[in-house]
Amino acid sequence: MPRREHLLKIGVSGIRGVVGEFLTPALACSFAQAFGTYVGGGRVILGRDTRTSGEMLTHAVSCGLLAAGCEVVDVGILPTPTIMIYVAATHAQGGIALTASHNPPEYNALKLFNAQGLFFNNYERAELLDLYHQSDFHQAANEEICGVIPDHDKAAKLHFEKVLAHVDAERIRKRKFRVALDAVNGAGAVTTPGFLRDTLGCDLEAIAIDPTKVFPREAEPKPETLGEIASLVPRCLREIGFAQDPDGDRLAVIDETGVVLDNDDVLALAVDAALRRLPGDVVVNLTTSSVIDDVAAAHGRRVYRTPVGEANVVETMQAVNAVIGGEGSNGGIIFPAVHLCRDSYTGMAFLLDRMAETGEKISTLAARLPKYYRRYGKVAYQHGRLGTLMQNLETRFPAAEKDRADGLKLLLPEGWIHVRSSNTEPLLRVAAEARSQAVVEKLYAEVLGLFKG
Amino acid sequence: MVGEAARSLRISQVGLRGVVGAGMTAAHVLDFASAFGTFLEPGRCVVVGRDPRASGVMVREGVVAALLACGKDVVDLGIAPSPVIQHTIRRLDAGGGISIGASHNAAEWNALKFFGRNAIYLSTAEANELLDIYHLKKFNFVEWNQLGTLLTDYHALDPYLEDLAAVYDFEALRKFRVVVDCCSGTSSLALRRMNERFGFQFILINEKMRGVAFAHEPATNKDMVALQLAPLMQPLGADAGFLFDADSDRVAFATEDGAAISEEMVLPMLADYLLPHGAGKLVITNVSTTALVDEVAARHGGEVVRVAVGRQAAIDALSTYRPEQIAIAGEGTGATMMPQFRFIYDGIASMLALLSMMRERDARLSQIVASYPKFSILKGQVPLVTHRIPALLASLRERYPDGRASVVDGLRVDWPDRWFHVRVSQTEPVVRIICEQRGDAPRELYGTLIELVRSFA
Repeated sequence: MPRREHLLKIGVSGIRGVVGEFLTPALACSFAQAFGTYVGGGRVILGRDTRTSGEMLTHAVSCGLLAAGCEVVDVGILPTPTIMIYVAATHAQGGIALTASHNPPEYNALKLFNAQGLFFNNYERAELLDLYHQSDFHQAANEEICGVIPDHDKAAKLHFEKVLAHVDAERIRKRKFRVALDAVNGAGAVTTPGFLRDTLGCDLEAIAIDPTKVFPREAEPKPETLGEIASLVPRCLREIGFAQDPDGDRLAVIDETGVVLDNDDVLALAVDAALRRLPGDVVVNLTTSSVIDDVAAAHGRRVYRTPVGEANVVETMQAVNAVIGGEGSNGGIIFPAVHLCRDSYTGMAFLLDRMAETGEKISTLAARLPKYYRRYGKVAYQHGRLGTLMQNLETRFPAAEKDRADGLKLLLPEGWIHVRSSNTEPLLRVAAEARSQAVVEKLYAEVLGLFKG
Repeated sequence: MVGEAARSLRISQVGLRGVVGAGMTAAHVLDFASAFGTFLEPGRCVVVGRDPRASGVMVREGVVAALLACGKDVVDLGIAPSPVIQHTIRRLDAGGGISIGASHNAAEWNALKFFGRNAIYLSTAEANELLDIYHLKKFNFVEWNQLGTLLTDYHALDPYLEDLAAVYDFEALRKFRVVVDCCSGTSSLALRRMNERFGFQFILINEKMRGVAFAHEPATNKDMVALQLAPLMQPLGADAGFLFDADSDRVAFATEDGAAISEEMVLPMLADYLLPHGAGKLVITNVSTTALVDEVAARHGGEVVRVAVGRQAAIDALSTYRPEQIAIAGEGTGATMMPQFRFIYDGIASMLALLSMMRERDARLSQIVASYPKFSILKGQVPLVTHRIPALLASLRERYPDGRASVVDGLRVDWPDRWFHVRVSQTEPVVRIICEQRGDAPRELYGTLIELVRSFA
């Protein structure tokens, strides 16, 4: 049983919780009415992933939006990036996606987008939250109340067209790649088979593509949860395998031998593909591997580092007009020429395009990347002890170059250490990276020793 | 003094009703529908329909979300007359239903009407339980994998009409030339289908359903009949004219010669028609309804049971008798319930009963109306300070000691050929005054009553 405070969270990132006792229809409705009031009425795009609570929450959110005088365009079950792109393309006032992304199926959440189809920035979020707490919603009278327009067909096509503009679709189709897909019965189950099979001409072997079923595996696409697709790829002689999260923004990649590629390496391959096409810099978070710096350097480009969190990466990407960005560990590839959001479809297209262009296997492309070794973990700490722990860490590595943008990152000649506290619980997240297994183990053990000692 | 704001929302045994935005909000809708989902027995689905008000879509979304969250499967009929919603509850053996719509109120209002297991309005005891759950706000929301599913049924009309056809002789009734003022409401759906499928000749005016401004006030009263419907009767050569409210549970009518008839006439005429037809001898109505009901009942050896004004009292009274004892139940507003339809307020069935009466008696509508002794009724209202009401009622009783007094609801005093009724409205902060007399209007009595009530204001 998780602690009660985590069963519902209303904060600057919106509202997220366990459906039922905690995330109630009334709460979702009120939050949507606050959102509708904040965007000032007009058209709002509403979509969702495949969670069982999606239908119930769609109606609750529609109710709140209509009560605020908005017109609701219900795009049904679609990946989050597709919804965001559609908000921008249709000049809506905003959008809401009902998805708890990689959280377990009992959770759901409202993801909120502004008129550009982007996550609200920190200032917008704070304003909306104040409005919600004040309950000072616009209460539309009968004559101001609009309707719900179902619009299930156009958004995915639009998204795919945007992605195809940045790859050579013809050469991908010519290769008739043998591809495997695990869509976790999520939103990707609705659109990804069509994308790979029809749009990119792949020979597809797909599992978990029934949007009416529950998630067959843990929702987050990480190596330990991807056993089924990983064994399917070599068995069915696939050249590459893709795994999505329930709302289709994150991507994991399996090579032809059945090895789940490191997400930092997948991001590095995408960065390489993007920088081959467009000039500009790269933005990643502090915990992302140094392999990104090597790839960018090979193209003569700069890497900007930000605190962990998609919103932080996106904000810096806007500021420096970056060509590509992302967060390595969680499988997020952000390519603004398509849209400023994590997009697994851009990732799939980039990798297939590189394979078509080079004629190389995906394992070969990955093996060409500089090799780094990484360790991740978390340590519980007592409230009030955080400052001391961080100071001990600093004292232990006096010569290190320090970055304090998000916790503490120590850059050492032999690698780096990044320690940051979780936003939601008294936990320290520890990451370390080096060029050899032995060195990373040593760094990691030292940090753990400091915290436990 | 009670201001406008206090009149824009009412939460009571009758359900939730208010001016959307100003009084009734999405939050009220969610909480009330969640209370209903909690109140219902687990298991069965819930039928939902609405009238054409623009706010109906917003309310529907909230109602559906709340019911799904309570684990109820929801069958949405879309825009549908209340009697069709109730019919569908029975057809599907559903756990209950909600009609979204403020029936005879103006377009800016909306309301939730709740039906229980047998499609009947909730009893007072059930309504109180629902209110308690609403106020406690402890709802039975189910877990993520137990949530209900939304189904739609846009063909609920046909089975309803087939059941009507089993009771009424459609073959004979369709010969009548009938004009109907749909007042932008749901009746057009049923009547148009009756034209298509059964060859009726309904001529519909204000047929297009409207979400914002209705063609006129959707009240079934004499003034509204006189507005557009009655003047069309002779030019169109119609046999009868009917006016429905927005959700088709009430009806008023005009005769073939263009006369707008008082809504009070619907109940006594139907009682006159039904009493000789069936075993039931009881007519259930309220203390404000015309004395003509008593006269008609007496002709057929029937008995009138008078209860307090309002739907709730009628529903509770119905449940104290066996269905076969009852001929009809209803009020002077044009809302009647008949045993053939298991006691649902149904304007369409009421209309068909009046047409059947014309056919069986082979009489014009004006002739039937003329066959009753003339009663004249006067209705008025006076705003009042609530705490002086007991003193007012006591004073009225002292002023008229010679009449037979009833305190079922306020004060009613009866003399052989006239009566008056003074009561506090359940929906507005006013005292209602009604008096009726055989023959000409009791203007003197009415004037005295108004003056007396005003002296307490």
